[in-house]
Amino acid sequence: MEKKALKKLAATVVADHHKMRMYQLRQFLKHKSAVLAFFILLITIVAALLGPNIAPYPEQGLGEVNVSERLQAPSAQHYLGTDVYGRDILSRIICGARVSLFGGFFIVIAAALIGVPLGLWAGYSEGIPGAIITRLVELFLSFPSVLIAMAISIVAGAGAFTALLALVIPWWPWYTRLVMGEVLSKKRMLYVEAAQMLGYGKVYIMVRHLLPNILTPVIVMILLDLGPAIIAIGLLSFLGLGTQAPQADWGLMVWEGAQNILSEWWIAIVPGCAMFIVVTAFNIFGDAVKDILEPNRS
Amino acid sequence: MEAMAVENKREPVLDVRNLEVTFNVARGAAKILAGVDFQLFPREILALVGETGSGKSVTAKSLLNLIPGASKQTSGKVYFEDKDLFKVSNKELQAIRGKHIGMIFQNPQACINPVFTLGEQLFRLIRLYLGDEIARMKLSEGVSTKQAIQLIAKEKLNEVGLSDSKRIFKSYASEVSGGMAQRFMIAQALLSSPKILIADEATSALDVTVQARILKLLKDLCAKNDTAILFITHDLGIAAQVCDRVAVMYSGRIVEIAETKKIFSAPCHPYTKGLLQAVPRPGRSNGLSFVPGMIPDLVDPPGGCRFHPRCNARMELCSKKRPEKYVVGENHEVSCFLYEENLRG
Amino acid sequence: MNTSLIELSRVRTWFPYVKSPLGRVKSWIKAVDDVSLNIFKGESLGLVGESGCGKSTLGRTILRLAPLYSGEIIFMQENIGKLDHTQLKPFRAKMQMVFQDPKASLNPKMTVFQILSEALHLNTGVEKKDYLEESVKLLDLVDLRPDHIYRYSHEFSGGQQQRISIARALATDPEFIVFDEATSALDVSVQAQIINLMGELQRKFNLTYLFISHDLSIMEHVCNRVAVMYGGEIVEVQEAASLFNSPRHPYTRALKNAVPVADPEARHDLGILTGEVPKLSDPPPGCHFHPRCEFADEICSNKSPQVSHTAEKSWVRCHFHEKLWQQGLLTDRESL
Repeated sequence: MEKKALKKLAATVVADHHKMRMYQLRQFLKHKSAVLAFFILLITIVAALLGPNIAPYPEQGLGEVNVSERLQAPSAQHYLGTDVYGRDILSRIICGARVSLFGGFFIVIAAALIGVPLGLWAGYSEGIPGAIITRLVELFLSFPSVLIAMAISIVAGAGAFTALLALVIPWWPWYTRLVMGEVLSKKRMLYVEAAQMLGYGKVYIMVRHLLPNILTPVIVMILLDLGPAIIAIGLLSFLGLGTQAPQADWGLMVWEGAQNILSEWWIAIVPGCAMFIVVTAFNIFGDAVKDILEPNRS
Repeated sequence: MEAMAVENKREPVLDVRNLEVTFNVARGAAKILAGVDFQLFPREILALVGETGSGKSVTAKSLLNLIPGASKQTSGKVYFEDKDLFKVSNKELQAIRGKHIGMIFQNPQACINPVFTLGEQLFRLIRLYLGDEIARMKLSEGVSTKQAIQLIAKEKLNEVGLSDSKRIFKSYASEVSGGMAQRFMIAQALLSSPKILIADEATSALDVTVQARILKLLKDLCAKNDTAILFITHDLGIAAQVCDRVAVMYSGRIVEIAETKKIFSAPCHPYTKGLLQAVPRPGRSNGLSFVPGMIPDLVDPPGGCRFHPRCNARMELCSKKRPEKYVVGENHEVSCFLYEENLRG
Repeated sequence: MNTSLIELSRVRTWFPYVKSPLGRVKSWIKAVDDVSLNIFKGESLGLVGESGCGKSTLGRTILRLAPLYSGEIIFMQENIGKLDHTQLKPFRAKMQMVFQDPKASLNPKMTVFQILSEALHLNTGVEKKDYLEESVKLLDLVDLRPDHIYRYSHEFSGGQQQRISIARALATDPEFIVFDEATSALDVSVQAQIINLMGELQRKFNLTYLFISHDLSIMEHVCNRVAVMYGGEIVEVQEAASLFNSPRHPYTRALKNAVPVADPEARHDLGILTGEVPKLSDPPPGCHFHPRCEFADEICSNKSPQVSHTAEKSWVRCHFHEKLWQQGLLTDRESL
């Protein structure tokens, strides 16, 4: 067949697949709550990216103290009020988003980048490497992630970046476990055997045949993990092990407002709400994506 | 639908009339069954034969309303003796299922509750259906209820060829082989001496030597119990060896129904002819030929006769009107316009 | 058709079943137990048996997809049983397999073109730039339209998927193809199409086939010779045309008796064989069939029967095959 005819062919098939994606998109749009969640997340991410540039009081967002205006309730000048040091809470939320939100992304992506290849390898090769990794995963999974991260942070010294790294360490085993489970069920599939019959080696089979077929549950897990990751950073910062004052961070802000919770409640509640809204948005969005990409699994 | 012009006017024990089932799928409404009619007479073995997409399994399950899901519509009448099963109350239907109409499926081990032992399940059924038997046994043998139940259970298992009843009582579904599990299912299904047994691909998952014995067992036991069998299968060999009559299904309709010998020696419907050509038979030196084309899309099926796009004898009429059932011989009906000049029954 | 393409000599494929805590194997699953067989070039050899007899494992063993415990596999005059992964590569192109489940044998995330290209990679006679053209040619060989080439496997029916698998097997320019229950999951009419296709391709490319199935009635339409397998052993090999009418082994007789033939005029007692198939982890001693055999005697439980040739390319393993044949004890059914 002519090259041109084949190109046209490719175009029709691509159009078909486009139709399928559109169908999936329409399915997604039916979940009104997920669409709302998506926009909330979009706004939050854009805000975080722009950071100090859109904060009404950028310097305060970054930590500058403004004692004269401390402990003010929400008003026209300060939409969300001011905190213990007089800093505009809205600005601090926006600047803090950077650490909280992108920190969450960092943890989850890093965990996936470490955990998935390890899971592929451990699941596919039988014998000693698989056994060692399995035991390691089991070990990590028997302790709460935050506890391990706390221990590491204390030893390594408090700080935003150290906290992030400390959280990645207990986080990757979840991905390894997920991937190993998927690989164990898929490696007996006949198309894997066909690739072996064609003489392809382990690495090729893992990357070309197994990875694309386990990607969907991994993506779903990443989406649903972002919420917990944000909370985890928040927790560490709240305990003083993460972001250090005067930098803005939602968890830190909650701690800073804790003493005044009964009188000037907004100082702690607002960052708490921010976390709650973002985490819930990720959950709803992740669930909707899961429903569409994996309709069979319940 | 009129009854066929048969010699001995027996009353059918099952009379299915214009059964239609539609499933709502993403793309639209799939008309799985588009008007199925047939009758099952007492003590006979009727084969319901078809390939994938013929609707044979759906037919079996619809008879007892076993298909879950709200996204389906069913219409038509299914008369068991003189009751329309689609009109009776749920309670009555449940009473009929199990007691008067038994069913065995393809994967026996999957149909046995894995949590209870085989014994527990059998005893429960005996308590439910064989109260009289238990009473009788207690009187004649002078035993307790529990012992009576066990004795009856042992008898029933022996009937299906499971002699090591003590072991079976204690076994779980995963501990017995496919053949043994199917025998157990048969024992359960025939426990209440039902009038009808529906076997839905009941031997398809078994090895051929095991299948052979199960088929023999089914035939013998049902003859003994006066049970009629509706045997759903894709295997024409089973139909030939075991069944009295054969109904051939294609895309939601029965296209031909006749006594077994007739179907194989003088098939009328073009699909039946094509199907028989494709079946491998030892001793046939000519190659296998087949019907070209693919089974129709159920959401948007061909108009008129659903087989016409693949039929080499098609006429213009075939795409416009759906053929009725025409009588071509004794107990032989075909749904094809080629036979329209014959009188309708 | 008289040179052997493949010679199997006392092949055993044993899988570890029970291991002691220290790793020493205490019992084995003897999926293939002492099989010797020749497959001649250009022939179509059937391998029939029920579930758990080891026939699929035998097919995979020949293709080196299952571990060889002992014995020799001579393929194209080379002992491939001893080769490692790298040395085996040039031979892999020459022997291919079509699997039982059409859907599962194709990666759902790959297009037909990608699947075929992956196989073409093994074909030293084709360059990368010609992959597209070759793929279209392959699809044409299996009666699929070229516009299928960029589609995913789930967009096809079972019969079409199996054709794609066959195209993939042909892509490497093989000498030998194993069909492992390749038509068992298909409708009868689709099966007929695929069988006809297989015959065409064999004639066209002078291929050698091993056709594995549990369905004896198909064998005559597909194969020249048929090997009957039971409990990990091959009990009989005979011309396909005569196997049904004159089996030489009691198991073959029981097997062919059990097949429900699509001919109501030839009704007979189907179920003459009692008992269950043997566990491959603990097969009966001597002849594996003896516990279920109505002709068995003491020697059958002590000694494994030797191979006795009944014709140039036919043989049987049974202590009493001579007597059974002469007294006509195995042909109680009317011939068709």
